[in-house]
Amino acid sequence: MIAVVGLVVGIVLGLVLKPDVPLWLEPYLPIAVVAALDAVFGALRAFLDGIFNDKVFVISFVSNVVIAALIVFVGDKLGVGAQLSTGVIVVLGIRIFSNVAAIRRHIFHA
Amino acid sequence: MSSPADRDREQAGEQQERISQGLIAYLSGHAMDEDYGWITRNQPATGGRGARVAATVTLAAFGLLVLTAATQTSRSAVTVADERTQLIEQITARRQSLDSRIDTARRLTEQNQVLTRAAGTTASAALLARVERLALLTGQSAAHGRGVTVVADDAANADSDRERVLDKDLQRLVNALWEAGAEAISINGQRLTNLSPIRQAGTAINVNFIPLRPPYRLLVLGDPDRLPSRFAATTDGAAWFDLEREVGLRLSITKATRLSLPAAGEQTLRYAQPATQKQGGAS
Repeated sequence: MIAVVGLVVGIVLGLVLKPDVPLWLEPYLPIAVVAALDAVFGALRAFLDGIFNDKVFVISFVSNVVIAALIVFVGDKLGVGAQLSTGVIVVLGIRIFSNVAAIRRHIFHA
Repeated sequence: MSSPADRDREQAGEQQERISQGLIAYLSGHAMDEDYGWITRNQPATGGRGARVAATVTLAAFGLLVLTAATQTSRSAVTVADERTQLIEQITARRQSLDSRIDTARRLTEQNQVLTRAAGTTASAALLARVERLALLTGQSAAHGRGVTVVADDAANADSDRERVLDKDLQRLVNALWEAGAEAISINGQRLTNLSPIRQAGTAINVNFIPLRPPYRLLVLGDPDRLPSRFAATTDGAAWFDLEREVGLRLSITKATRLSLPAAGEQTLRYAQPATQKQGGAS
């Protein structure tokens, strides 16, 4: 329950502050969001599986975001930023779909 | 607790699995971080209050992140739409201005053609013709055509001014010729203009300020058939015949089919100005 409160607090904070993203950070924001989504859905599935662990969640979240941003950064430097982004999105997308499917099975038992 | 060797073995198994399954199947099968399962299996008791707070903060950060990305995207979408609209407006405006310029260019080209044609044919040609006619009329250009040759000379063995051709005699002769229809006259190579004086200077007669000696040979352009008779009909012509008869001055008029009269020298006007240019300056 406290996790939901955290989520709500974050959303409200974002609504109130409307933070301006610096220009150099802008390209990494969408991929970071997708990576974060992956971590969150993974955590939700783990929670429903009964094996959720706070430490693992924090670490997976941070590492997902950082690695995704890093991949895009390196890709930009190499001139293949768009292609690498696509690759990352595909992998994370597959993972998100699988996790959401598992969550769905938990909730609807179907 | 599992030993590092256990973990290595586990990872090696995963590796094997990945190779046999293919990437997509592996990704689907391992969508959730294995660490959850591993930790639960091996360290069920980890994670205390601090970890719980960290997880909450992480989720808050996630919310913030999602919202920031969303606002950023919508904001830049608005900007992009604005820019797009502005660009479209610019394109339309530029296209219109281009169209009007093309129209202008076409119109100017047409005008140019018309003007060139007009300048080439009518206007400049008419102007040139007028200049030529005026130059002919004023004696500023050489003239040639049909006419008569008039030779006036002193009486033979003249010993008094009475028996010589004087300036007034020459003036009468010229006047009579003008009256008879002469269009251009030269006396001993001096073309008569509207400014040419004929006056005595000692024994010579000055025409255009050039002293001339007898015989005075006048080239007269005009109708060669009618000039002599009309000359005889004028008062001054009749006077000349009297002079010829009574004093012995000699006068001969012969028809000529081709006469060439020289142009008068350049004359400068210092006071006369075109009326159209200085209408108010005549004080």
